Amino acid sequence: MFFALTSDQQEFGAAVRDYLAQRFDLAAVRTVVENPSDDGNPASLWRAAGEQGWTAVTVDEDHDGLGLGLVEAQVIARALGAGVAPGPWRGTVLAADAIRLAGSDEQKAAWLPKLAAGEAVGAFTTRGSAASGLPVVEYGALADVVVAPAEDGLPGLALVTGATASPVGSYDGTTRLASCSGGTVETLPGTTVELQRLLTDRATVLVAADLVGIAREALTRTVAYDRERTQFGVPVGSFQALKHALADLHVGVTMAEHAALYAAHAVDTGLADAELAVAVAKAKSSDVALQATAAMIQFHGGIGYTWEHEAHFFYKRAKRLAGQYGDVAVSRERIASLTVGA
Amino acid sequence: MDLTFTPAEEEFREELRSWLRAHIPDEWTRPGFWESLEDSESFRLRRDWERDKADAGFAGIQWPVEYGGRGGTPGMKAIYDEETVRARAPRTVNPLGLTFLAPTVMAIGTDAQKKEIIGPLLRNEVVWCQGFSEPGAGSDLAALSTKGVRDGDDFVVNGQKVWTTNAVHGDKIFTLVRTEAGSEKHRGISMLLIDMNQPGVTARPLRQMSGASEFGEVFFDDARVPVTDCLGEIGDGWRTAMLLLSFERGASGISQYTEFRRQYDEIAAVARKLGRADDPVIRDDLARVLTELECLRLHSMHVLTQVEQGRDLGFEASMTKLQWSEAFQDLWEVYDRILGEDATLDALTDGTDLRPLHAQAMWSRSVTIWGGSSQVQRNVTAERVLGLPR
Ligand SMILES: Cc1cc2nc3c(=O)[nH]c(=O)nc-3n(C[C@H](O)[C@H](O)[C@H](O)COP(=O)(O)OP(=O)(O)OC[C@H]3O[C@@H](n4cnc5c(N)ncnc54)[C@H](O)[C@@H]3O)c2cc1C
Repeated sequence: MFFALTSDQQEFGAAVRDYLAQRFDLAAVRTVVENPSDDGNPASLWRAAGEQGWTAVTVDEDHDGLGLGLVEAQVIARALGAGVAPGPWRGTVLAADAIRLAGSDEQKAAWLPKLAAGEAVGAFTTRGSAASGLPVVEYGALADVVVAPAEDGLPGLALVTGATASPVGSYDGTTRLASCSGGTVETLPGTTVELQRLLTDRATVLVAADLVGIAREALTRTVAYDRERTQFGVPVGSFQALKHALADLHVGVTMAEHAALYAAHAVDTGLADAELAVAVAKAKSSDVALQATAAMIQFHGGIGYTWEHEAHFFYKRAKRLAGQYGDVAVSRERIASLTVGA
Repeated sequence: MDLTFTPAEEEFREELRSWLRAHIPDEWTRPGFWESLEDSESFRLRRDWERDKADAGFAGIQWPVEYGGRGGTPGMKAIYDEETVRARAPRTVNPLGLTFLAPTVMAIGTDAQKKEIIGPLLRNEVVWCQGFSEPGAGSDLAALSTKGVRDGDDFVVNGQKVWTTNAVHGDKIFTLVRTEAGSEKHRGISMLLIDMNQPGVTARPLRQMSGASEFGEVFFDDARVPVTDCLGEIGDGWRTAMLLLSFERGASGISQYTEFRRQYDEIAAVARKLGRADDPVIRDDLARVLTELECLRLHSMHVLTQVEQGRDLGFEASMTKLQWSEAFQDLWEVYDRILGEDATLDALTDGTDLRPLHAQAMWSRSVTIWGGSSQVQRNVTAERVLGLPR
């Protein structure tokens, strides 16, 4: 029995976190948030993503990737969430996954090495279709290739290149969104209904892991602040009302970490309960990230509500991701249908 | 990631399974069977069963062979926990002796204590109680006031313990007793092992909200305890108690998950039967609980991994306790919501007996109190794990 991250996996996450702490901290995130008309993908950070293998993680070795699994990918996602890092990492990894699993040899050769190296930007969406238009695509304006449903309501995935993108506003300033339409559409020949489900599960796990990273970091920063901040002559962290709330959050975040890790493993290895595991991970991580980021604001007091403080980066990103691929209620309905029945 | 057990562990699972299949009568697994028995009858059946189980080599799975145990791995213990719950084996009569006392005696007991205590515990011949709580010392255990005064080779003990599980059926009790006159808080306490079948020890049942009397109160009135029956150093009982309580940490979440998951499925079946399974609020409630139960399973696997790697779990045990006790309590609140206005009835109109389920629902109110209340666990987590100031 070994249910934990290996030391290699831990190092992978630590390397991303170290990079962000030293080279792309919250002040750098702020620059992105405060310049919404920029493309939201700082060159230095994206170069690091390519050079350090973040974008190559699940691409097979034949196409210049690292050939690792969703478990490793979720480690990176968690670290990027903790740093509320901007950039099209997740879309690029998911687009590469789709091409790797359903693309023709030509499509693989054309895209995988470039996506792995971070030379091309990928995007992935399940909303809308190549035929009717894609209403919200993360980094849709930046993407060289978008993987999307081919037609509304029908199974099938398409590669879209050269689409026309127009910005979609969002109060989560750590991400850029765009609607996309037109462009050149190619089908992904290997797409099946199961594969489409699998890709959505992979996307869901990566979002869950980002939420887990957000939640853990929000909690850690809040604990650090409440240990120092004094009122009534004592650190506010000595008040039991705060202690109990923070203790409950620690338990919740830890459980969400387990849930995202297990879901990644279950999807990677096709365990029988993979579908349930993904829904559990998404329900728990959405729930706990919303709680932890709200607590981050509350337990910083007035300063936590200011634009100057970073709490809102975490809160707003959690809000957006908690709703993706099924919010808490939708994820729980999926759990109910699997365990209670229709 | 490797979620499998070793071949030797899987072999053990098969061996245990077939033994359980052969030795658990169908009747025992009928819902409500154990609840329908008189306490003493239930106790007798469980005691006999445990003796047979020990004779078959399925007791003390992780205990060293030199003590008559099986010398198994943490994985085997986890398998044991899972399979016994799955087979609906009766609950142990000796949870406190087996979980807490035995490993403490192995760690710091004298040779005589090891010899006298461990063998009989393995076969459940001596049922042990834990005499920590007092009327004035619950969460604040160090406020205890039961006194032991040295008289030759004995301590003479006076005082009262309360909420003592198995008080009436117990043979012996490990207690915390103030053996240093005028001492305060953690100092001057000794852990004494007291024979309950002697003049000067009286146990009285306390009726619980469920109607059962699993716990009771114990009065010491000049009870005599040889000084050799002190576990650990005299006056150092607090340290002994902390060591003893540390044995709560382990992979116990696996058996809890297995049991709660079965209860979840039973409750979901009740929801379907009552036409409540398509109520979106009920579905959301059930899914929330299931999420927490699945997290408990994964957390237990993580704990097991750490135990196998020889890591000290430290104060993480508080997290495990919080996770399972709160989820379990929530589960039974959802059950009440499913029954709605019929939540308190003894039976449904079709005759389905609800009392065994009610017994669980009542029990759920206790789990956030004993073994350190949820509030105390939150304090521990906040102060010892998160490092918030006291
Ligand atoms: C079913 C059952 C079985 C038991 N079996 C045994 C046994 O075998 N042996 C044994 O020794 N004991 C046993 N106990 C006793 C149990 O350990 C105590 O009930 C427990 O320690 C709480 O103590 P108390 O009942 O005095 O409550 P109190 O400590 O008086 O607590 C009252 C309330 O105050 C809260 N509280 C207390 N301190 C704090 C704090 N610092 N911060 C915030 N809130 C606080 C508690 O959470 C609780 O809500 C059992 C109890 C039950 C219910």
